[in-house]
Amino acid sequence: MNKMGTIISFTFKNKVRTKSFLITTLILILLISIGMNIPYFIKVFQGDDGAKDTQIGVVAEQGNRAAELLLSYAPPATAAADEDEDTDTVAFKAFASADDAALKQGLDDEKIEGYLTFDAKGSEGVPPVTYHSKDGELDKDLKTYLQGALQQINTQLIAGDKLTQEQVAAMFAPVSIGTQQLSTDGKDGAATDESKPVINYVIVYVLLILFFMSITMTGNMIAAEVTSEKSSRIMEILITSASPLTQMFGKVIGIFLVGLMQIAIISASIAINLMLPHNASILTDFDLDLGQLNYGILVYGFILYVLGYFLYALMYAAVGSIVSRTEDLGQALMPVMMCTFVAFYIPLFSISAPDTMLIKVASFVPITSPLSMVLRIGVGEVAFWEIAVSLVILLATTFGLGWLAAKIYRTGVLMYGKRPSIKEIRKAMKAYKI
Amino acid sequence: MEALKLEQVVKQYGDKTAVNGISLKVGPGEIYGLLGANGAGKTTTMRMVLGLIYPDGGKILYNGKPFSDELQHMMGYLPEERGLYPKVKVSDQIIYLARLRGMSAGDAEKSLRFWLERFDVPEYYNKKIEELSKGNQQKMGFIAAVVHKPQILILDEAFSGLDPVNVELLKDTVKELRDQGTSILFSTHRMEHVEELCRNITILDRSNTVVQGDIREIKKGYPREEVALRTVGELSGLDKIPGVSAVQKQERGYLLSISEIGAAQRILQHAMAAGEVEHFEIKEPTLNQIFIRAVGESNE
Ligand SMILES: Nc1ncnc2c1ncn2[C@@H]1O[C@H](COP(=O)(O)OP(=O)(O)O)[C@@H](O)[C@H]1O
Ligand SMILES: [Mg+2]
Repeated sequence: MNKMGTIISFTFKNKVRTKSFLITTLILILLISIGMNIPYFIKVFQGDDGAKDTQIGVVAEQGNRAAELLLSYAPPATAAADEDEDTDTVAFKAFASADDAALKQGLDDEKIEGYLTFDAKGSEGVPPVTYHSKDGELDKDLKTYLQGALQQINTQLIAGDKLTQEQVAAMFAPVSIGTQQLSTDGKDGAATDESKPVINYVIVYVLLILFFMSITMTGNMIAAEVTSEKSSRIMEILITSASPLTQMFGKVIGIFLVGLMQIAIISASIAINLMLPHNASILTDFDLDLGQLNYGILVYGFILYVLGYFLYALMYAAVGSIVSRTEDLGQALMPVMMCTFVAFYIPLFSISAPDTMLIKVASFVPITSPLSMVLRIGVGEVAFWEIAVSLVILLATTFGLGWLAAKIYRTGVLMYGKRPSIKEIRKAMKAYKI
Repeated sequence: MEALKLEQVVKQYGDKTAVNGISLKVGPGEIYGLLGANGAGKTTTMRMVLGLIYPDGGKILYNGKPFSDELQHMMGYLPEERGLYPKVKVSDQIIYLARLRGMSAGDAEKSLRFWLERFDVPEYYNKKIEELSKGNQQKMGFIAAVVHKPQILILDEAFSGLDPVNVELLKDTVKELRDQGTSILFSTHRMEHVEELCRNITILDRSNTVVQGDIREIKKGYPREEVALRTVGELSGLDKIPGVSAVQKQERGYLLSISEIGAAQRILQHAMAAGEVEHFEIKEPTLNQIFIRAVGESNE
């Protein structure tokens, strides 16, 4: 056990100190920070920093009812409340004619976006309106806003004598539709028919991606480490100093801690970015509510991650110890990589249909179960016994593979040159104890 | 009792026999030489001694007992390829290796500093292996092999690739360890180091033992075939002496090959009759000559 500790700390320290680790971690932090701030940057570049105040000129002669109503128009309150701090306000300003000096000045200074003119009075209601601006364009949001405003004024003009201004405004206030989940008495207990709020999909996505990245990155790290120890023959000294099982698990755990640290750093940078004042609305923007999070998925997710990590890490280590040169490693790792891809893509493509037969089967097969089970727990339907059985299978496989991998490691270390045949490996594996 | 004893040890790789029935004994405080050309089976023999690979036949005993994991702590190994992490600091990896072999961190550190001082390079403590020259990397590998004070030390081609100064330094160190009681199994394909260090040797040729035993005894067993002669004046008629098969004129004096030992006396008499003799020596065969001969005979 003492030796195991020595190996774990040596592996951890050496990996964390490498330039490549520092660089990948920094790049990840940078990508996350950039990615999470993109919405904000877009706003800044569009000059759309939060609440935008647009000024629109209204050119009409005295006594134009439509123009007067427009100037006193106030948008319905409920619609605005939804949009939180992003409330754009549009202010209307009256001008006597299009040649007004103040209007011209305003347009030149870009204080005034454009102005509206009214055609000669036609039938009842608001006459046709023309929007004049420098670029001759009317942006979508503004158009919607103007249409809303003019529609309301139109109603008021036509039904003005029968309805008060408040009544008209009330007519145009959006009708609110709330949702209420029906509570059913499920036969299989809590796990059935649970509501799956968006946040759980997000968490499942995040877990799938984290898992996949973490496995491929640390897996390759382990394989490369083992191969380089083998090719530099340090392995010969190591094997004569500590048992192969200790060696292998020491390395795998050491690199596991490296991966865990990387995940902690990533999580911390996501949290910090979320906490930045200008990003405060990201969660609410996407309609996410942490309160709706199914915390079971985090707990099970962690257990599945740990077991899945060991399963894959041991496979990578075993392959790393068969290969004698780093150049040959990529090719030898192909089968393991394929497993990783399958384990990742099955649940990824099933995220909208988490209860298919494929996913059900996949959630019991050890190679795919860590991720498929996360999907089922997060957004599908799964009974507790299913989780338990899947975990037991995974645990047993991991132990079995650990033993097998240590055998391969012990044997592969001394096989140089040509790729050993299965028969040779089997014969040698019988000979060496671990 | 022998610290290390091999009895009829055999190792096969597929159809190929890498070591064919080697037997040898190394006592405490002895340096044992394992000689042979490339591919003779030296490294394979050492790996079996270390427990890295298992013999297909025969026995290996350590202080009379068979191999066990506890033994690993009392063995030190310098592999042919040196075996160090290129990108890790000398101190980190040597202390790590010492700890894996059961030393405490404090003792490992003390021992490492002692050895760095001994080799006059205390500043390497914080250097990475890849920053050091080949020869110095080799010294670090040597330190890694001895840092935990092993009783059995296995050195595979320890001197190859070193400059003469460092060869002397390592030789002295190895002798010191021997005098402290360490049993050392030492392989090389260069003969010149062996005569100075080893009492007993085994010469391997393509997996077979061809010559074995005490170096002096071995030499006695081979006929003396060379006479070195130096005189004040020039000599003539050396090649006419019966039993002389070849005469080589050298920078100073002559080197004569003789086919029977009686010829040596006739050469001396001939030289004394002609003038003053400065130097006369019936040369022992060198290990190199024995090696070439033994290997040649085994090939016939
Ligand atoms: N892992 C191995 N697989 C197959 N053949 C090997 C292996 N190791 C060594 N051999 C063969 O065994 C013979 C002895 O090799 P080795 O002990 O390394 O020789 P030496 O160290 O004396 O140069 C060589 O012919 C070599 O090709
Ligand atoms: Mg060798």
